[in-house]
Amino acid sequence: MTVEVLVARDLTVTAALAGRPLPVIGELNFKLARGRLLGLVGESGAGKSMIGRAIAQLLPHGFAVTRGELMFDGEDLVRMPPADRRELLGREIAFIPQEPLSALNPVLTIGRQIDEHLRRLGVTGTRARQERALAMLDAVHLAQGRDLLRKYPHQLSGGMCQRVLIAMAFASRPKLIVADEPTTALDVTIQARIVKLIAEMQQRDGTSVILITHDLRLAAQICDDILVLYAGRMAEYGPARRVLAGPAHPYTRCLQLSNPPMSGARRGLYVLPERMPGLSALASMTGCPFAPRCPSVVADCARAPPVFAEIEPGRGAACPRHDTTARIVAPALAPANAAGCAALLLDVKGLSKTFRAHHGFFRGTSVDAVKNVDMTLHENEFIGIVGESGSGKSTVARMLVGLERPSAGRVVIAGRDVSDGGAAAGAHQRAHAQMVFQDPQSALNPRRRVAAIVTQALEATGAATSQERLARAGELLCEIGLPGEVAMRLPAQLSGGQRQRVNIARALAAAPRILIADEIVSGLDVSVQAQLLDLLLRLRRQRGLSLLFISHDLSVVRYLCDRVLVMYRGEVVESGPTAEVFAAPKHAYTRRLLAAVPPDDPSVAWTPDEVEAGRARSLSHG
Amino acid sequence: MMRAWPHWMRSGRVITGLIIIAAILVCAVFAPWLAPHDPNEQNLLAALAPPAWLEGGDPAFPLGTDSLGRCVLSRLLYGARVAMTVAVLASLGAMVIGAVLSYLAGYFGGYADALIGRAVDVWMSFPPVILSLILMVGLGTGLRNVVLAIVLVDWTRFCRVLRGEVLVVARKDYVAAARLLGFSHWRTITREIVPGSLPLLITLISLEMGIAVIVEAILSFVGLSVSAQTPAWGQMIADARQSIHDAPWNLLFPILMIFIAVFGFNMLGDGLRRTLDVRLTATERA
Repeated sequence: MTVEVLVARDLTVTAALAGRPLPVIGELNFKLARGRLLGLVGESGAGKSMIGRAIAQLLPHGFAVTRGELMFDGEDLVRMPPADRRELLGREIAFIPQEPLSALNPVLTIGRQIDEHLRRLGVTGTRARQERALAMLDAVHLAQGRDLLRKYPHQLSGGMCQRVLIAMAFASRPKLIVADEPTTALDVTIQARIVKLIAEMQQRDGTSVILITHDLRLAAQICDDILVLYAGRMAEYGPARRVLAGPAHPYTRCLQLSNPPMSGARRGLYVLPERMPGLSALASMTGCPFAPRCPSVVADCARAPPVFAEIEPGRGAACPRHDTTARIVAPALAPANAAGCAALLLDVKGLSKTFRAHHGFFRGTSVDAVKNVDMTLHENEFIGIVGESGSGKSTVARMLVGLERPSAGRVVIAGRDVSDGGAAAGAHQRAHAQMVFQDPQSALNPRRRVAAIVTQALEATGAATSQERLARAGELLCEIGLPGEVAMRLPAQLSGGQRQRVNIARALAAAPRILIADEIVSGLDVSVQAQLLDLLLRLRRQRGLSLLFISHDLSVVRYLCDRVLVMYRGEVVESGPTAEVFAAPKHAYTRRLLAAVPPDDPSVAWTPDEVEAGRARSLSHG
Repeated sequence: MMRAWPHWMRSGRVITGLIIIAAILVCAVFAPWLAPHDPNEQNLLAALAPPAWLEGGDPAFPLGTDSLGRCVLSRLLYGARVAMTVAVLASLGAMVIGAVLSYLAGYFGGYADALIGRAVDVWMSFPPVILSLILMVGLGTGLRNVVLAIVLVDWTRFCRVLRGEVLVVARKDYVAAARLLGFSHWRTITREIVPGSLPLLITLISLEMGIAVIVEAILSFVGLSVSAQTPAWGQMIADARQSIHDAPWNLLFPILMIFIAVFGFNMLGDGLRRTLDVRLTATERA
């Protein structure tokens, strides 16, 4: 019997787009032994998810495995009859999805869905299935299983849904589990617990797991092996801790350096220029696909594609110059402006917001979304608000720009009280504080061109001619680092990072002194995130901008912000200079948030659960 | 970026619909030149003549004559004028009222939405044909009143469908962003919301034109549309009932015309819906 559960040999996936075959995944070789956890990392578009889809043979239309094999337990998944493969999927091979809420049927109870799954697995007897279901929920640490079985998915939090799905994936004791970004849709504190849970279940059953993730720190902590993908090619492969302790491929190194550190001295971020080549660009490249972005590139790199070679036993990299990789270092931190006695721009006292939900004419419930928040923001200062979803961060932001009326409290912007909500106050508010919205998909009108979007501030007055607006659009695009030709494009024709830049440019056009940014880097690749953070810091130097940065990513806040406010259930539970709060957190919630982030150093043990133990048991079903 | 045709022009349904409607419009506009006879000219000697290609047909009356000896082809051609005028004016009118109210309801929400929503509910609980009949009795016959009756009945169709769409668009962050940059309500609606709902609006109009043709035919069938001096398709059907056994073609031709006109508008509407709706994928559009 083989110990390898999954072996890929020269696996190549080709897309037949626009009439010519384009290699999406090229010559992948990896082995996954029983009970091991393999991490697949890389930027979006690197082909991580395509591997999961190749395993299930659910490739998008026009995509096919054209070469190589994918051996599961001694049988080739690519060439086996579809009926045999269906037999394996869900039984021997299970999947944990990215979006737990959309993976569960909203109109069936959790109990029904687990029951049906168990019936498919051949468990007979209603009573037997129910007992099995309760045992499964218990294994994923979901308390009160009996109540849970009667509930519908929308009555559960995202973390609880993901636990149910993990329980279902492990129900058949599969040999292989593919988890595609299982935590991206969840809060930080829950992310840590879900990942730990997958690792725990995997150890219990001796399952092999493929974890698709973009989080290098996380991969270093829980994966045994790691495969770094770049443009569908293997960049680096080997034991996770060794790879991440000293990357051999420049790409791995750059990814690591573009992520802000959580411990030690603050350092600058390595900003990877440009983007990963697209499919058609890749087909016309002769050399290393990473060469155009590589810091240690030499003339030879563009000549022939690099050969993936072993650099030490059990470890390989696709870079002939891997011995120079260690020389790539992060740039120095840009000097901070002397804050000193800067003017007070924003003064918030006792800000509260109560939402009332009406059910019929008389009954109604109210929710205190924000309770008694005080904060100040000085000129040229960057402050961060951190907290999980539902903590009231976004509501604070919306009140500060006037999209919501505060229920109580005072907002003073540049010396003028704007809390009365009148027209003059609104104009003052708009002139000083602008907001950058979280989701560029929703924040940019899909039917307007970039030039029209970024100059909306001019359009509002109705006085500017189209020539003036085009000229202004050119200036703004230049300032945020986009080429002038994007001016005539539609948002759909831009990449995620470019869209977010346009989003920022639109707010800047109104020449505000305060920018309020709501989760503007979440969901973006670390390389794009580094580019945007770089841009924000540059705007601070050039424009003397103040920033209120709302984020759930603590490392980004640590890198960017001078001061931080921690929000929990509508209240500010801790605030102070970022370095102090992060080094010596006083509130238990802050400690929990910090512990949820995997440490930078892969050899340091990550213990989010120990901090957890201090919490009441009743709160523990995340 | 330069393409010879916009993508909706390449849909088979849209082209079929446009060709049918264009043909009917040509008939309507050029009726005085195309018609072989005056539509009201009676020729009692040739009453109930069959179409020219049947036995006993007269080449002077290509589609035969009715019981008063009037040329069926000429009446059909003139009838297209009434049908097209009503279709275009009534659907535009219904669109203007329905769209304005739905933008107000969807954008402002709250009381405006509740008020307009309830009005639509009450309005739609009347059977539409009965409501238009009652309106015609009250308003009196005539082309202008037919249009008015259809507008007053059918604006709810636009309002209900559009309101949902506006509600979704109005909650988008780009609408909030426009407000933050100092856009007035008017500017926000016209620049940010209307363009997004235009495809739906165009689709609804072309479907509404088909409905207007049918409603006008019903009204003229019961004699509550244009005056008896103006030929209309519904009137022709009503007249043909008396001689249904002797001259079934008198009934068939106006029915066929209504069918073709409604089919054309529906094809166009469906084609536009498929090609303009950004939510559908390329395969669903085909």
